[in-house]
Amino acid sequence: MKWTGALILAFSLNSVLAAQEAKPLLRGSYQKIIAAHAGKPFIVALWSLSCTHCGADLQIFEWLLKKYPSFNLVLISTDTPEQDRAIAQRLRQYHLDKPAQTKSRNLESWVFADSYVERLHFEVDAQWYGELPRTYFFDAGGKATAISGVLRADNTENWIRSHP
Amino acid sequence: MLLRYLYVLPVVLTFSVGLFAAEQARPHDMSKMWQSSLAGGQISTGAVFDEHGTLWLAQVQDGHVLLSHSADLGKTFSDAVRVNPQPEAVAASGETRPKILLSKNGNIYIAYTQSLDTPYAGNIRFSRSLDGGKSFSAPITVNDNRDPITHRFEAMGVNARGQIYLAWLDKRDAALAKIRGEKYSGIAVYYAMSDDDGKSFHANIKVADHTCECCRVAMAIDSSDTPVIVWRHIFGKNVRDHGMARLDGSVRKPDDEFHVWRVTFENWEVEACPHHGPSLSISGDVYHLAWFNHAGERSGLFYARSADGGKTFSTPVSVGNGAHQAGHAAVLGKGNNVYLAWKEFDGEMSVINAMRSHDGGVTWGDVQKLAGTHDMSDHPLLIGNHEQVYLSWSTLQEGYRLIALPEDK
Repeated sequence: MKWTGALILAFSLNSVLAAQEAKPLLRGSYQKIIAAHAGKPFIVALWSLSCTHCGADLQIFEWLLKKYPSFNLVLISTDTPEQDRAIAQRLRQYHLDKPAQTKSRNLESWVFADSYVERLHFEVDAQWYGELPRTYFFDAGGKATAISGVLRADNTENWIRSHP
Repeated sequence: MLLRYLYVLPVVLTFSVGLFAAEQARPHDMSKMWQSSLAGGQISTGAVFDEHGTLWLAQVQDGHVLLSHSADLGKTFSDAVRVNPQPEAVAASGETRPKILLSKNGNIYIAYTQSLDTPYAGNIRFSRSLDGGKSFSAPITVNDNRDPITHRFEAMGVNARGQIYLAWLDKRDAALAKIRGEKYSGIAVYYAMSDDDGKSFHANIKVADHTCECCRVAMAIDSSDTPVIVWRHIFGKNVRDHGMARLDGSVRKPDDEFHVWRVTFENWEVEACPHHGPSLSISGDVYHLAWFNHAGERSGLFYARSADGGKTFSTPVSVGNGAHQAGHAAVLGKGNNVYLAWKEFDGEMSVINAMRSHDGGVTWGDVQKLAGTHDMSDHPLLIGNHEQVYLSWSTLQEGYRLIALPEDK
């Protein structure tokens, strides 16, 4: 009985530890993210573990964060919170995981945390059908430009340079 | 003080045990997480009516494809029979549902994607019942390339001759190109045919190189018993429009691909995973095609018909409300009647809307709302029971629903 309790405790501690990588994106979270960044330019990058093209974008962000450590990047995985460790592993490949997020205060990571994904899609953008990668470039005035598909490194760099 | 430490100690111990367990688990985490992603919300359901009006369902639970049937239009169901005896990571979400078809001789055929540990990897699995669904054969793997790579998004068809066709997306050529250091965009579409009632399948045949990686393939049997498939293809560098091919079994040289022709022209140029494949139905000699593209001004869900064997299609008709994310359409032709059903989300709930054409898809009636839900849902599936057409739909909150498409208002 004691062991069962200990095991349950161990498991729950594990999940608490695991839950630290990406913040849960719930209903209303996206609007809060946008509000928190109001007045400054930032990029929202939606990606997933099962998206074969998303690695290319993560690689571009890795390169750009090294070159421009102060640009604001919000990563949102459309996977589930249960995949937190896999998300961490994938982000680690591109030095975008927790240590990188702690070091650079302008990098944050979220994960879809509602089974009703259509609703989350809609809250992000009624014109987004879930295709990945999907990236939003917000200027300081809060105006967003959306791009579906792999980004071009040069265009993305130009955007960051022109939106200090 | 001592008491406090005594309380803390077990917590520290279990904490360390927990960390140790986590370390132990790590090498397999990626695969476990991949599998858990596939296990989540497995509500995508395959459904078909037999000639007596009995509804047959293929659903997935705990790694098993489960077959059940209903003689009262979905009010009550039989006990479920397991198709695969050993649990597998059966894919049953989004674009992938287990497939169920019946042949004229009463055989029941099941096809599904078995997800493998490696991300994106899978096998196309097939099982049959020769005793009316009482028991199933041990599932066989249909793809003859067994590398742990993509073999997914299968479509299945059975023609009047009893031949069973499976077509799927296959990464073998892309994987080979990578080893050789060559460029290869997308993956490929392959098919295999069985002419012994599903006991075995002939060798896999490549239909085309350079398909999109993550959209379902659609198949329909034409009036000469030949399967026709349609899929999201990569044209040129990165235009993801739809390609079509007839699996007519013509004898060709080993490396000679099937003739593939382009059927949609929105020019969606994107290097992305749309997770949004087409739907195809053939009624008489008319092809009915529904698809999604997101190319700037030419964006949304579309329908078009072809009266010349798919060579040319009518001007695409926009379907559904683009502001409500209309998508994932199912199309079904029954004589001159054609039915379209699709999903929309209005900001509060998901609904399945439908419309009907009485003239083979030339003109369409009003949009009718069939059902709604407030959480996760399967893509809509249309199935016919003689002349009546039904929406087959699974939702997380309501479970399985069979809804008759109403007459026009």
